[in-house]
Amino acid sequence: MVGTFAGLIDAAREKAVKRRLAISSIKKPDLEIISRAAKEGLIVPLLVGDGIAAEAMVKKSHLASLEYEIMDVKVSGGSLQAAVALVREGRADMLMRGAEDLKTFMNTVLDTRTGLLKDKLASYISVFQLPKSDKLILVTDTFVNNYPGVTEKQAILEHAIKLAGLLGIEAPNVAVLAAIEQINPSIPSTLDAAVLSKMSERRQFGNVFVEGPLDIDCALSHVAAGRKGIKSVVTGNVDIYLAPEIESGYLLAESLIFVGRMEMVGVLMGMTKPVILNLPFISRENRLVEIALASLL
Amino acid sequence: MIRSLDDISLIAGEKGPKRLAVLAPEDEEFMVAVKRSWEAGYIEPVLIGNSEKMEKLGEKVGFDISRFEKIMENDRQAISDIGIGMLFSGKLSIVSKGQIPTAYIYRSIIRAEGKASSGMTVSVVSFWEIPGLGHLTAFTDTGVSIMPDYKTKADILRNAVFLYHLLGYKKPRIVAISGQRKFGGTLDSYRDYKLLRKAAERGELGECEFVHATSFAEIFLGPRGRLRDYRDIDLAKMPHIILVPRLDTGNILCKLDFFLDVTRCSIAVTSRGAVCIPSRADFSDSIVTELAMGVVVADRLEKEVR
Repeated sequence: MVGTFAGLIDAAREKAVKRRLAISSIKKPDLEIISRAAKEGLIVPLLVGDGIAAEAMVKKSHLASLEYEIMDVKVSGGSLQAAVALVREGRADMLMRGAEDLKTFMNTVLDTRTGLLKDKLASYISVFQLPKSDKLILVTDTFVNNYPGVTEKQAILEHAIKLAGLLGIEAPNVAVLAAIEQINPSIPSTLDAAVLSKMSERRQFGNVFVEGPLDIDCALSHVAAGRKGIKSVVTGNVDIYLAPEIESGYLLAESLIFVGRMEMVGVLMGMTKPVILNLPFISRENRLVEIALASLL
Repeated sequence: MIRSLDDISLIAGEKGPKRLAVLAPEDEEFMVAVKRSWEAGYIEPVLIGNSEKMEKLGEKVGFDISRFEKIMENDRQAISDIGIGMLFSGKLSIVSKGQIPTAYIYRSIIRAEGKASSGMTVSVVSFWEIPGLGHLTAFTDTGVSIMPDYKTKADILRNAVFLYHLLGYKKPRIVAISGQRKFGGTLDSYRDYKLLRKAAERGELGECEFVHATSFAEIFLGPRGRLRDYRDIDLAKMPHIILVPRLDTGNILCKLDFFLDVTRCSIAVTSRGAVCIPSRADFSDSIVTELAMGVVVADRLEKEVR
């Protein structure tokens, strides 16, 4: 089981298959990260965009002495389309956002006709390394879906279960979060949580323990849950936290980063090939881990 | 200005004891908290709940409760109605939740506010003490409104700003957070943020400074910033009041004290005084702090006409 970010890099290295990572319109800070990933033997970068500018940038970087490729695309705004096409056609294994704004990038990769969406929806999983412990926790959906209904939550949960499996977490414990631990028809998140919990009870997610609704104190503490009369193997030992909607998911992830200073990387699920969003709240150090994680998918 | 929960404890010791009704102290942690708060001189408890359970617990934790007023009641809603009724009739200064689901208490408060025709929007403010920060920060509403609209959010913010003024913060910095990202359409919470920002500019939220940010990334990095290193995060940028978009978000964020190095303390703002809202999962240390906060707020409310 992979329990640390260092372990993620090791696991990616052990795969011994360098993945071809396409990135369009590269910027200097991205080049530094790409160079490190190439040096670690994780990827072969494929820079898509203005070839002359990219070559000039590479010459001044550590990447110059490593394996890389440049695909010259002269059409303005065409480099992202070209990079996506490379991945879609199997000429690259992974895609990373470069200089494009998030909206353009997301709309392009999620396009059902020309993008890279495989499942009925994409979801984003924040992977946190717990301080002082060799354990990774997954929090989802923290970036893509605004207000998923129970059908969408099922898909989001299945993505997380899949990632947990890739990280070697057998029989993951899932907390379906809500404001309260009781089912209250006025609070929709509690109803969704109850449905998912029941589905799990009927083994619809396989060897997975889904508990919900759980408020965060019950999810985090077995003792706290006990005081509220909840007895479950999930409480206090959660692998996957399923957020009720984006307001809670996105802000929970950010709270853990900025107030808790917890290390986080993220991964987009539901795609034909790994896609790295290159979000601004992933630290420079963790961006390398993020590439390693994507290469494990 | 009250900068920490230690300040709160100190002032509660000076201003107490205040008469405080505890709704169903039928759990060891709550009874220990009542005992410690009484010993510290914060409170003169009125115990409402199952008499047998309270007696047994008192005995168990070495607390002679025979000297205090006790009201025997088993029905959860009735317990709550009695305590809130006493608060609204001026018979006591503070009420605290015990081992009773919060929904009963909110129901009692909302009914009492209705009877009093106060027009008050009831909301809960959950304070955080973050080590080294030098000011209290708070999430609101963490207890009552499930999906508040703009008008309710403005009321919730006014309640919190008022509470901060009571604690000595002349111009608290407030932020309305949202799940708004740079893609995915415009969320209602983002629309509300823009309206609240204008309301703040017009002075409609009370004396405060409205922070132009909707997420923690924007608070700490600015609108186009990028996190390079965790050591670069300047916690001093943490606002005083954080308006959450909905109940799910508020409850999840404020109870991260079970995970992070922060201390939480929740209080409901009503037109007639303070109601302490510890979680039923809280431990006695945390409950004592909440009761102390209740004492301080009650003391300052007595001197302040809203």
